[in-house]
Amino acid sequence: MINIRPATVDDLLSMQNCNLMNLPENYQMKYYIYHALSWPQLSFVAEDQKGRVVGYVLAKMEEEVGDVPHGHITSLSVMRNWRRLGIAEKLMSQAQKAMLEAFHAHYVSLHVRKSNRAALQLYRDTLKFSVHEIEKSYYADGEDAYAMRKQLKEDAEGAQHGRGSKSKPLNGREGGHSH
Amino acid sequence: MPPAKQGRELPSKESAMFKSILKFYEHKQYKKGLKQAEQILRKFPEHGETLAMKGLFLSHLDRKEEGYEFVKKGLRNDLTSHTCWHVYGLMHRADKNYEEAIKCYVNALKFDKENMQIIRDLSLLQIQMRNYEGFNETRHQLLSLRPTNRMYWVGLAISYHMLQKYDTALNVLSAFEESLKEQPDVADFENSEMLMYKNMIIEESGDNLKALEHLEDIRTRVVDKRSWRESKARVLLKANKLTEAEVEYRQLLDQNPDCHAYLEGLLRARSLIGGSADLDVTQMEKLFRLLNELGNKYPRSHVIKRAPLKYAKADKFRELADEYLRPMFRKGVPSLFVSIKDLYKDDGKGQIVEDLVLGYRKSLKEAQRFGEDDALTEREPPTAYLWVLYFLAQHYDHKRNTTTALQLINEALVHTPTLVELLMTKARIYKHAGDEETAVTIMNEAREMDLQDRYINSKCTKYMLRNDRLGEAEQTIALFTRSESLDPLADLVDMQCMWFATECAKSYVRQEQYGRALKKLHQIEQHFVDIYDDQFDFHSYCLRKMTLRSYVELLRVEDKLRSHPFYFEAATLAVQVYLELHDKPKEHSGREDASNANVSDSERKKAERKARKLALKTQNDKAADAGSNKDKADVNGEKYLAADDYLEEAMRFLRPLLDLGSERIESQVLGCEVFLRKKKYLLALRALKKGTAIAPNHPDLHRNAVRFYLAVKSEPIDSIHPHVRTVLEEEMGQLFNGVKDAKEFNAKYLKNCKGNVESLLAAAEMDRLCGGDGVEILEEIVTGETRDLTLETAVKVHMSLVTTFSDLKKADDFELKCRERFPLAGYFEPTD
Repeated sequence: MINIRPATVDDLLSMQNCNLMNLPENYQMKYYIYHALSWPQLSFVAEDQKGRVVGYVLAKMEEEVGDVPHGHITSLSVMRNWRRLGIAEKLMSQAQKAMLEAFHAHYVSLHVRKSNRAALQLYRDTLKFSVHEIEKSYYADGEDAYAMRKQLKEDAEGAQHGRGSKSKPLNGREGGHSH
Repeated sequence: MPPAKQGRELPSKESAMFKSILKFYEHKQYKKGLKQAEQILRKFPEHGETLAMKGLFLSHLDRKEEGYEFVKKGLRNDLTSHTCWHVYGLMHRADKNYEEAIKCYVNALKFDKENMQIIRDLSLLQIQMRNYEGFNETRHQLLSLRPTNRMYWVGLAISYHMLQKYDTALNVLSAFEESLKEQPDVADFENSEMLMYKNMIIEESGDNLKALEHLEDIRTRVVDKRSWRESKARVLLKANKLTEAEVEYRQLLDQNPDCHAYLEGLLRARSLIGGSADLDVTQMEKLFRLLNELGNKYPRSHVIKRAPLKYAKADKFRELADEYLRPMFRKGVPSLFVSIKDLYKDDGKGQIVEDLVLGYRKSLKEAQRFGEDDALTEREPPTAYLWVLYFLAQHYDHKRNTTTALQLINEALVHTPTLVELLMTKARIYKHAGDEETAVTIMNEAREMDLQDRYINSKCTKYMLRNDRLGEAEQTIALFTRSESLDPLADLVDMQCMWFATECAKSYVRQEQYGRALKKLHQIEQHFVDIYDDQFDFHSYCLRKMTLRSYVELLRVEDKLRSHPFYFEAATLAVQVYLELHDKPKEHSGREDASNANVSDSERKKAERKARKLALKTQNDKAADAGSNKDKADVNGEKYLAADDYLEEAMRFLRPLLDLGSERIESQVLGCEVFLRKKKYLLALRALKKGTAIAPNHPDLHRNAVRFYLAVKSEPIDSIHPHVRTVLEEEMGQLFNGVKDAKEFNAKYLKNCKGNVESLLAAAEMDRLCGGDGVEILEEIVTGETRDLTLETAVKVHMSLVTTFSDLKKADDFELKCRERFPLAGYFEPTD
């Protein structure tokens, strides 16, 4: 069974563990706490029937002066053996809904490593993001990032359709992350 | 009048300079501040407040020890200066010595009663230390000094909430809301959070109707619609307003049909789960009808799809499982087996699943269909057969039928050799069969097929550690750690990666490198210390952000932080290591000396510790010379081995286990082990009693009970205080149920073993401890049926036969049997 629910403070250690197992971009616990205590509505976990966290989305709002409020996906990942169930998509859909509802976000953004084709595919083809620009040397090791965006108003209207059971390549690697 | 006070006033020039020093500190310009302070001190070398400030700057410039000296000197020169006390408090606070910091702030406030900065800082320390009474008092003071600041209203409300004075907390918030009406400049989100916090307090006060009324009242002002509805649904359920609760849960499911809590809420609202009696046939029908209706409405929801399998039995289960499994195989879902194996606990469900999937296999092979009587329309994709094999391999592995599992996974690999998931499962089968080496080789093959994936890298690292190949494991995991630093493993520590540290520690324990193991385990303890400290900044942050529900949640999570399984695992291991060190320290010193043979045990221990400390000191001196970090230099964890009292060290890990994990049998067993060695018999007895309430027949608990009994009985009459002895005798009468000696107690236990090998082994060992030989019991184990024996238990038995009983004949007989039962297990492999 896969249970998708809002993340609580109690989940943060498990989310950090899931992140460390799956992705090269990692964060200290304080950063997770910061997310949970600033935008408690935006992060979600997927857990199995034993209550183990097998996927999560860690999300925030960008509230810069001079820009419209918009959401940002700090990190998203699903344990490899739990893929092909559409978990990433469901986590994202819940996060986006909350961004719109509680914070009136106009759009949601995220970063993907240029070399991470699997993630790019997930965000572009499955989650309907598009590349907004390329950020030079975004990552600590000098790699460029695709800055991707998705308009949220459209999503609010069409969240429930057009998502039939599409199978993804087995080696499809989910995960978008940034600081 | 004390001279120091006289000296506080500075001439106007220096006085202006001193003011700028404070500015420098606020703006974190520590070097400039230090320079300025030194300039003042040239003219007024004894000026207390400047000395204190100089110390503060120094401590921020990495010269902490010097810093403390100046702060203390400054304070001595001006004991009535609030600045000096405040600075001293700041130093302690930076060192996380919160108790001392609180004392300093209280002193500072004696000399400047209305200093907002100091009162605020004091309140943060009080909540950090969970001094709710003090926090409440300080919060009162803040509000009375600044009644227009909303943060102070909210802070006071929190303090009452924490004291469970719900009504007062609510009154404070209401008064605050009144005041808001005059200045409605609060952002929507913050206001919404505040209102929902208020509702949280009402709900916790237990007044469901008032909570519901309040929810209606604030409805339009809450932007967090989801939580609002969650609260409403939950409280309606609590208030037993089932029809209304159903409406809300249906709406929630509509927003997130994958949320188990919503589905559960709906079923409760329909009285289909949570009742005291089992459902009758009609109710069961209703349940399936509802789940079916929801399934049709939300076809993508896995939670809903999976739910009926839990409730259905026999033929109904077969029908539903068939419907559930087919599309999953068609689609190829790697987690399918994991997602249903918990059903195997139910009578016969595992067998039904096995029959179904074996049927698919046959039919897919012959006709590319799931069932022989399926319509001949479309054929299933060839991958369906592959996923069926994959599933069955896991199924048989779960039953520890290694041969069949391997046949199946190998067939699947012939079909698709490049599928990483298949190799991972094959590695798992070997691991379960006890062939760790082959398991690693295969997992590494899997890793090499997808070098970009950190998950498979992590898995492979874990397998290497399980096989005690630490060097390889470190090289492998380093492929994904940050490359900037010289030490790739330092990144894992920085990122608070716990699984790697735990697995390393386990491996070190297997290799009897206890110092290294302890180093890793203390590292995990440090992560928990840090995560506890993390909350500090949020005490003020959340008052601004108004995210008070989450803040209160944080306080509660931090309070029981060490109940987390990551901590539990590390702490139990650490206690075990310390017990091991305590029991036989000489094996680990590596400095055994024949001349020590005649020395008494305690003297020898002392000598060894001295030697170790000396070695440590030389090593540290060298390290200091080289200018490197002391802690890093001590790769072998000598520091931990050099501890004076291993049992006292164990207490640091045991205490949280007993406080926060008291419901786990392992905690009580370890508690008993430690207290018994410390001769704290009452505490040991308490652990035994709690353990008996959890798992009366647990073999380790039994071992401890017998040891406890023998220890108490052999204590000289005057070594236990008469009062203690009275309590002990009385309690032991109950626990040991009036047996005449330990041997009889063990015989009683033996009757309850019911063929359980772990229990039998404990009984045999304890029989030996009570003066018997345990032979009959061992005979029963060794000649017994091995079908239900696990590899782990088999290894335990064999080790005990060799080490505890020194019965090599039986050990060999048992080994032969085990070799047959576990043909792949490395442990039972012939040595030549």
